[in-house]
Amino acid sequence: MGPLEGLVYGFGVALTPANLSACFVGVLVGTIVGVLPGIGPVGAMALLLPSTFALHPATALIMLAGIYYGAMYGGSTTSILVNVPGEAGSVVTLLDGYQMTRRGRAGAALAIAAVGSFVAGTIGVVGIMLAANWLADLAVQFGPPEYFAITFGGILLLSRLTGGSIVHAFVMVAIGLALGTVGMDSISALRRFTFGSVQLSQGIDLVPVIMGVYGVAEVLLLAEEGITKAQIASVRLRELLPTRQEWRESAAPIARGSVVGFLTGLVPGPAAVLSTFISYTLEKKISRTPEKFGQGAVAGVAGPESANNAATAGAMVPLLSLGIPFSPATAILLGALVIHGLQPGPLMISQRPEVFWGFIASMYIGNAMLLVLNLPLVGLFVSVLRLPQHVLATLVMLLCLVGAYSLNNSFLDLWVLAIFGVFGYALRKLSVDPSPLVVALVLGPMMEKTLRQALFLTRGSVTELIARPLTASILIVTLAAFLGPPLVAFMRRRRNGRSPVAA
Amino acid sequence: MLPRLVPAAVLAVAGVYLFQALKLPLGSAARPGAGFYPVIVAVFACVICLVGLVRGVGFSPQAAGSDADDGDPMPALRRVAITTAALAGFCVVMPWTGYPVAAAAFVIVTLLGLGSRPWAAVTIGILGALGSHALFAGLLDVPLPRGPW
Repeated sequence: MGPLEGLVYGFGVALTPANLSACFVGVLVGTIVGVLPGIGPVGAMALLLPSTFALHPATALIMLAGIYYGAMYGGSTTSILVNVPGEAGSVVTLLDGYQMTRRGRAGAALAIAAVGSFVAGTIGVVGIMLAANWLADLAVQFGPPEYFAITFGGILLLSRLTGGSIVHAFVMVAIGLALGTVGMDSISALRRFTFGSVQLSQGIDLVPVIMGVYGVAEVLLLAEEGITKAQIASVRLRELLPTRQEWRESAAPIARGSVVGFLTGLVPGPAAVLSTFISYTLEKKISRTPEKFGQGAVAGVAGPESANNAATAGAMVPLLSLGIPFSPATAILLGALVIHGLQPGPLMISQRPEVFWGFIASMYIGNAMLLVLNLPLVGLFVSVLRLPQHVLATLVMLLCLVGAYSLNNSFLDLWVLAIFGVFGYALRKLSVDPSPLVVALVLGPMMEKTLRQALFLTRGSVTELIARPLTASILIVTLAAFLGPPLVAFMRRRRNGRSPVAA
Repeated sequence: MLPRLVPAAVLAVAGVYLFQALKLPLGSAARPGAGFYPVIVAVFACVICLVGLVRGVGFSPQAAGSDADDGDPMPALRRVAITTAALAGFCVVMPWTGYPVAAAAFVIVTLLGLGSRPWAAVTIGILGALGSHALFAGLLDVPLPRGPW
């Protein structure tokens, strides 16, 4: 099935009442989550994951992805109106967005952010259609050694890109890999690290761990703040139209932001956040008036807002074509697919076209829904901020608890949620990013299985394993990406250290 | 003290994990057993923690608190402690009392700990417990424990 034929088929799937409703619920919840500071898209996806178990896999994926890109739209609203980022991908938007609000151009900033997000989301979906098909064709040639190299590379690169100390990241990776070994060994059926518990022989479920380290930890951070209320600027509908000059100034940044965002989404790491910084820096560098950045420059809103939405689309490419999540949000989508008995990867496009193409088509529909939802209803979404945060936090925690229990009707999952919630909170207080733990927990079992299969295939020869052309290429690219930036920084430091002596 | 305590604690856990992993069959390079990969993970964890300890790459804690607390972390920590205690309490009592009672108690205790007025906490607690029970048990057919009644 070619991309266009597949897309037409996908629209047939996405336009069914169940999938349309799931898409609407997803983008609506995503927008609300994006508006609210504290609860991020990953936490919200983790919270709603149990409620998707009864749904068809395509419907579940459509709803969860809707939350992800809906949050990118909603996050900009809080940044622009309240000067508080709704989620991490909207941090850069507040630099110029809030300055536009102070100058009375809040409506124009919101409209440009929404249109930019729509254009970027649509360009991103076209990118997925083309890139995912091509990558899937390539991935058909992959065997256990190549999959081992990819999972190893994914874990290694993500641990480097989370920022902070590499030792912290590797400690998180080790904990995630170790947790992934608990339960029954998939090859020998031997129980490992279960200490006689029957429940533990099923392994540690991914969902309560994710809900704990992201959802519960965020609620505990909100609990620190106690009773808080936000100061909110009001926006009238007629103020939403940008001037002709503002449209002209935002067109090129939207296009550039879309391309930068999509490409950033293809590499492991916090793509949505990273892409906004890259886009903002790029716009400031090529601008004829860089001094306007930080003072309410339209390009400072248009570029990053387009970039973070295109990045969410780009991040779907490695997930759908290789079955490898390069970010915590895509790790949850992978978890949802695995729970439904699906293994994303090159064969999913041909074996489950309704899931793959239905999902792609739903992203077009979701982006259009978001544009319609976000502009006229911006006042309604902002009013969510008037809800007392401590009440919201408590009710969200209750939903976490009942959601975790409903996974397997198991009290063990409740305890896993509570323990990882406190652990996640402690990590935040120690400035440690839990993302490497989650990615290692998702990819660890796959890495173990493919490593053992690969060693069996090569009769235990590591040289034979890494000498296969595709495996070697993947490992070389991974090591270059992992070691390249610190080596360049080291060389630069040495050169800078010598230059005063030479002078 | 704390920066070194964290890698030391993780190292201790990694040591126990390695000890348990060595009890599993290792197999050979050509036929790796169930313990092969866990041993690699355990060795990796121990090495990383040792590097962290030797190089002094610590885990520096941030102060808890908000602007409202004027820099005093105690009220903020108390709110977190009450929320955590309510969370653990919910896990302990739900098998005995059933979901609605445990949920209402959880919401009421947490909201009171966060500074809500008692009548508001009780109202939100009862409505939250009944609403979430109706959603999960009624609409989504999740068999939530009902308790002795």
